[in-house]
Amino acid sequence: MTGPVLKVDDLSVSFGTRTGRAMVVNDVSYEIGASETLAIVGESGSGKSVSSLALLQLLPVPPARVAGRAEFGGGDLLSMPDPEIRAVRGNRIAMIFQDPMTSLNPVRTIGYQLMEPLRMHMGMDKAAARARSIELLELVGIPSADERMDDYPQQFSGGMRQRVMIAMGISCEPDLLIADEATTALDVTTQAQIIEEIKQLQDRMGLALIWITHDLGVVAGIADRVVVLYGGAIMEEAAIDLLFDDPRHPYTRALLESLPVPGMDRPRRLQAIPGLPPDPVHLPAGCPFAPRCAYAQDICTSERPALTFPLEGHGVACHFDPEVFDG
Amino acid sequence: MADPTPTAPPPATHDAGEPIAEHRSRMRVTIDTVLRNRLAVIGLVVLALLVLAAIFGPTIAPYDINDINIADRLQGLSSSHWFGTDELGRDVFSRVLVGARVSLTVGFIAVGIAVVIGVPIGLVSGFYGGATDSWLMRLMDILFSLPAILLAIAILAVLGPGIVNAMIAIGIVYTPIFARITRGSVLTVKESVFVRAARSLGATDTRILRSHILPNVVAPIIVQTSLSLAFAILAEAALSFLGLGVQPPEPAWGRMLSEGRGFFQQAPWMAIFPGLAIVITVMAFNFVGDGLRDALDPQQRSVIESRGVG
Repeated sequence: MTGPVLKVDDLSVSFGTRTGRAMVVNDVSYEIGASETLAIVGESGSGKSVSSLALLQLLPVPPARVAGRAEFGGGDLLSMPDPEIRAVRGNRIAMIFQDPMTSLNPVRTIGYQLMEPLRMHMGMDKAAARARSIELLELVGIPSADERMDDYPQQFSGGMRQRVMIAMGISCEPDLLIADEATTALDVTTQAQIIEEIKQLQDRMGLALIWITHDLGVVAGIADRVVVLYGGAIMEEAAIDLLFDDPRHPYTRALLESLPVPGMDRPRRLQAIPGLPPDPVHLPAGCPFAPRCAYAQDICTSERPALTFPLEGHGVACHFDPEVFDG
Repeated sequence: MADPTPTAPPPATHDAGEPIAEHRSRMRVTIDTVLRNRLAVIGLVVLALLVLAAIFGPTIAPYDINDINIADRLQGLSSSHWFGTDELGRDVFSRVLVGARVSLTVGFIAVGIAVVIGVPIGLVSGFYGGATDSWLMRLMDILFSLPAILLAIAILAVLGPGIVNAMIAIGIVYTPIFARITRGSVLTVKESVFVRAARSLGATDTRILRSHILPNVVAPIIVQTSLSLAFAILAEAALSFLGLGVQPPEPAWGRMLSEGRGFFQQAPWMAIFPGLAIVITVMAFNFVGDGLRDALDPQQRSVIESRGVG
């Protein structure tokens, strides 16, 4: 690994709303290397999608306000002028969205939509773009790709459409692919297939992958490292095994306890986390998780804990050592 | 069409198979739906006849339209003059036939002007929003707030009467309708995930507007075009009636109506036939428009179609 592909520093995103400024992402920093898979995990409203949209300047500014740095290919994604960021989008960083039913234009053929980025970024002519598109469809496992090029999105099932989206995403051989809940809308079988295919593509192309999801089960199957977001801030960051075996943040622990564990001898009651995620307009002054945290002390409500790395490669934003919680 | 893995085929086949059955090209579906609508078919047949009349009118007309024959003036219906003659002995049937050309030309060009100006305004306005949207839409609101025929008369007062100016005036009057309809649809479409996906793939604004948004908003525009054609023809008739449109001796239905008015007691046919021609044409366009709307845009019923003339 020769330096990170993407290095995000203190990324903050806020939105002007009628009731005040909504702090949706707060000082998020992470990096990702080539061929690495970073999972960004969080519940709805934790800022996970917004933080990735912000990277490609896809948020409407205003009402959004974006601060921080995102180093990619020697430049800062967040401050690139329009033509430059456009040359990055779809070309060097591609995104796959959650809903495969609506992320394709219903009045254009699959072929047209696949050929579009190829013609925009690679300057291919129609014939070359078509040939390449057929290859891509075959690569993502769509049978009789040649004929299906002239079909419309509504002739494809959800899983097939997501495959088409992946084909579009990888068409220009990007360095980084951001999958925003890419398999959430699919049934479990299809989900497993798509994840398998993405992993194969990643191996083949040396792709860095950011996998945004709320589903820790999916994370376990795909990620190398995990960033846990809550209230727009990183609660914990660790390699996948570390996170599952030795979660150090109370939120991560609560999250894991709310999951069923297959193969457990005695079924246990799943633990829901009491309370609601914080309102981004009125974030708590201290730790965003404090109001719902079983171990919260006075300091938790008054002072925001910084993300520290007491162990190499395992970051936690909590005032306390996990031993406190076990005791 | 099934997924390649053995575990998936049943759901996948089901999933992929269902939409295929309903899918034919959008064009094909539209045409089939329109053809199932009896009124729309009647409208189409009438329009086809009108277009033929407009093209071949002068050659198939039994008399020269400016053939003055004072001896035969104000003749009633007969086998030699099907629609009678006017105060100068000209054949009303020939003039109605040739008049189709003026009406259709004015209708198509005027609506063409409205589409060409209104649709881009709506696209830009809806897509960019903000101050651009406010300014453009306020401008459209101003145009929209004036009674159509009054505005057309005002424009003609500036440009001077005549058929070309009448087309321009009618075109300007109908521009806001297209701007609004387009803008409304753009507002919905631009929030689609596929627009965001296209942007995330590096598409420029122009490209997104042209190849992703425009094709998704054409349906209501097509429907409005066919309905507006009816209004434009009515507007031309009204302007010609007032002497602001087509100038004599060119035969236009509105003008013939106005000339026939003076002879309504002695020769009602002078006014009745051009009037009927207007009614039939407008109805034909409305039938076709309604048919298209049912086929293309079932939700869009009765949007701004209330804007009649005067």
